[in-house]
Amino acid sequence: MTDREKLLQKISALQFAAWELHLYLDTHPGDSDAIELNKKYLCRSKELTELYESNFGPLSARSGSGDKWLKNPWPWDIKECER
Amino acid sequence: MFQYEKKLQYPVNIKNPNPKYAKIIISQFGGPDGELAASLRYLSQRFSMPYPELKGLLTDIGTEELAHLEMIGAIVYQLTRNLTIDEIKKSGFDTYFVDHTTGVYPVAASGTPFTATYLQSKGDVITDLHEDLAAEQKARTTYDNILRLVDDPDVREPIKFLREREIVHYQRFGEGLRLATDRMNEKNFYAFNPSFDVQCNKNCNRNNNNNRN
Repeated sequence: MTDREKLLQKISALQFAAWELHLYLDTHPGDSDAIELNKKYLCRSKELTELYESNFGPLSARSGSGDKWLKNPWPWDIKECER
Repeated sequence: MFQYEKKLQYPVNIKNPNPKYAKIIISQFGGPDGELAASLRYLSQRFSMPYPELKGLLTDIGTEELAHLEMIGAIVYQLTRNLTIDEIKKSGFDTYFVDHTTGVYPVAASGTPFTATYLQSKGDVITDLHEDLAAEQKARTTYDNILRLVDDPDVREPIKFLREREIVHYQRFGEGLRLATDRMNEKNFYAFNPSFDVQCNKNCNRNNNNNRN
């Protein structure tokens, strides 16, 4: 796995944990422990997303355009090491 | 509005193309219990949901289904890379290839193209949530069937992830249904439809101190 892929995997894991809590909170909106945990994962994933974007380009259209946005790989492209 | 994130919800990295698998898995792209139907179902139903938890739940799960649609598209795309005409003929992928080459098209494994008749938006809270619960279980069964037919761990891992999400969504929809019925007439859930009979909602709220809205 490349450094880029490792960092993306970390971000995905944190975002997944935050998302799972987000869905849980749709039906348990008053659960303060879940709110805290959700904040923690979101905060960490934002930090790592900034780190990723400064090294490898934008992950969303809000954080960059043009060549940087268009740069391969796109999410459905196969792994770099196997291309 | 929607904003794209340039990443998959769960990674898809398939080393060995396999058009036979692609022909099966395309069903979760455009088939009767697939991710496109799921997404359209929830993102349509949400407009008539009367309670904030249900507006949120349908928006969020409908959005996640779009991410699942993208994962299935990536699986099908990677399974159909660099195929020879011989492989296409032998695998039975030729019946798809003739119409779509290796483009990803919303169709069921049997060849039926996607149709909105796969989903319903009934404008009734109880009816729509029961449809959603059933849809999650039907998708779960389809993923279980795919796992019976597919050996390659590169394909199985993302499919197992998607199967698990169906179970989580089913759980959340069950909780949503409970939240909805808690706000209805406990002697007769069908006394009125909170998505349509707005006046009854107001009366109900006046008479029910436990109601959060």
